[in-house]
Amino acid sequence: MQEAAELNLATLVVNEPVEQGRRIFVAALLICAIASAALAGLLPLQVSIVTVFLFAGPHNWFELRYFLMRLPVRFGKSRPFFMTAFIGVACLTVAYVSLPLLYQTTLWSYERSLVAIGLWNTWLLAWLSTLAFLRSKQKPRSDWSWVLPIAFALCAINWIAPALFSLALVYVHPLIALWFLDKHLQRNRPHWVAAYRRSLVLVPLIVGFLVWQLWGTHSLTEDNGLFWRITQHSGAELLPQVSSHLLVSVHLFLEMLHYFVWLLALPLLGPLVIGRKPHPNLLARFWEPVPIARHPRGFPKTVAFMLAIGAALVLLLWFGFSTDYATTRDIYFTVAMAHVIAEAPFLMKML
Amino acid sequence: MKATQFVGCIVLLVLSVVLVHADIAKPKTTPEPNKSLYTSLEIIPDAKTSEARLQIRQSSFNELRAALNAEPNNAAIASTITRSSTRTIIAGLLLFLSVSFGGVWFVRAFRSGQGLRRAEKIAAIGLIAVATFGAAALITRGNAGPPPAFRWRNLPTALAAGQSSGGPVLLEVVPDDPNSGIGIKLIIPLKKQKPNGEEE
Repeated sequence: MQEAAELNLATLVVNEPVEQGRRIFVAALLICAIASAALAGLLPLQVSIVTVFLFAGPHNWFELRYFLMRLPVRFGKSRPFFMTAFIGVACLTVAYVSLPLLYQTTLWSYERSLVAIGLWNTWLLAWLSTLAFLRSKQKPRSDWSWVLPIAFALCAINWIAPALFSLALVYVHPLIALWFLDKHLQRNRPHWVAAYRRSLVLVPLIVGFLVWQLWGTHSLTEDNGLFWRITQHSGAELLPQVSSHLLVSVHLFLEMLHYFVWLLALPLLGPLVIGRKPHPNLLARFWEPVPIARHPRGFPKTVAFMLAIGAALVLLLWFGFSTDYATTRDIYFTVAMAHVIAEAPFLMKML
Repeated sequence: MKATQFVGCIVLLVLSVVLVHADIAKPKTTPEPNKSLYTSLEIIPDAKTSEARLQIRQSSFNELRAALNAEPNNAAIASTITRSSTRTIIAGLLLFLSVSFGGVWFVRAFRSGQGLRRAEKIAAIGLIAVATFGAAALITRGNAGPPPAFRWRNLPTALAAGQSSGGPVLLEVVPDDPNSGIGIKLIIPLKKQKPNGEEE
């Protein structure tokens, strides 16, 4: 009896920090979600401007570092997967960036521009299906053939309403970060996963609350080019029946969650391998989670160069926002499509 | 078993033909150009102003002008959903492929003996649920929201209290009426209310 009591006490002592960490994590999630929703609902345009200014560039830098963490030193059997991924990211980004240029240089009708968007979306879905096929070959026990009917169904929806499909991507993209966090927790802190998934229920509840509160509100004023851009980005032109206040608030709320995951949650949770003691040297601790940098056969200089270029681009972005916010925002959201596309292969690699 | 599957396929095909009206020929009449614009209107009682003013946003005006000229640059939701025969054909072919591959996957998953795994079950349930709700929403027009008149029901109270009130409005261009000198007419969908507050 006494032994059992001691055993229980020992378990409690061991589990106490784990339990405390989980509680802090869930509390931080809830606070961030509620604070984001409050700010997004009350001051959508102002908070959108500040949020993009502060966090857009840094979150891309942290994403780059995370993707480098997930890259193997040698591709090995994953070579076709990674080659398809990199070529796809490059080609799709170039095509996406060239679309607005084509609109301006050629006299396309509205229907033709829709066809162009539809083609790009189809290309994206075909690329994703190819990646899923290549990934399924690496996991012979799992059956990924259900991807094909879903991809065809999505393609069909895209051709019915290409512009709305693109808008759906804008709203879905922030949620992918939550999926990354889930996969990260499964490997890094599996005992937190259940609590994290339960706390995710709050996201649709908050979105529902925003819809309920803001449905009947007047659309936001678009008395300058910047406000107009923000409402257009959230789909105000495509959904004129819906208040632009609601659209911007919901999109901003999701974007803030996205930034929260990439800038706070994932960096603070640490590397994927748990149990290894952190290196006493700060620089070594920085390289430690990046296998292609610390491995003897790795590429530390290339990684350092890429991260330095990334940091320089963040500074350049801040400079651009300071001098001409509206134009920089336009350029950023066009070029940033690269990071949206790049998330897909790394997420698929974690499945 | 094969006979049941065959009969099932035939029933599915016939049902799909009936649902999409595939046996009805395309009407040959030329559609009337859209001379209306769905937008919103706010009525603001203002004690400081000396004359009534009708203000229209530049973007709304441009959309109306495009609608009058039958230009397809009105990007409202209705116009983004396909009205192009090419895109409809592509979407139809892709849906056909989706249903075909989905059917093959479904049959294979059950024949493999293991049945469906958890993730596959969730995907299948999700797909069926989306298709069912989507079809139900389309048939019942469940995505239409409350009728436009709903937002205007508080107009008299708001005006009496000196407050603004707004709601959806259909901006129409109507033929000239020689018997009327009124340039712009605002028709509000208001129903008379009984003394107990119910609408007639």
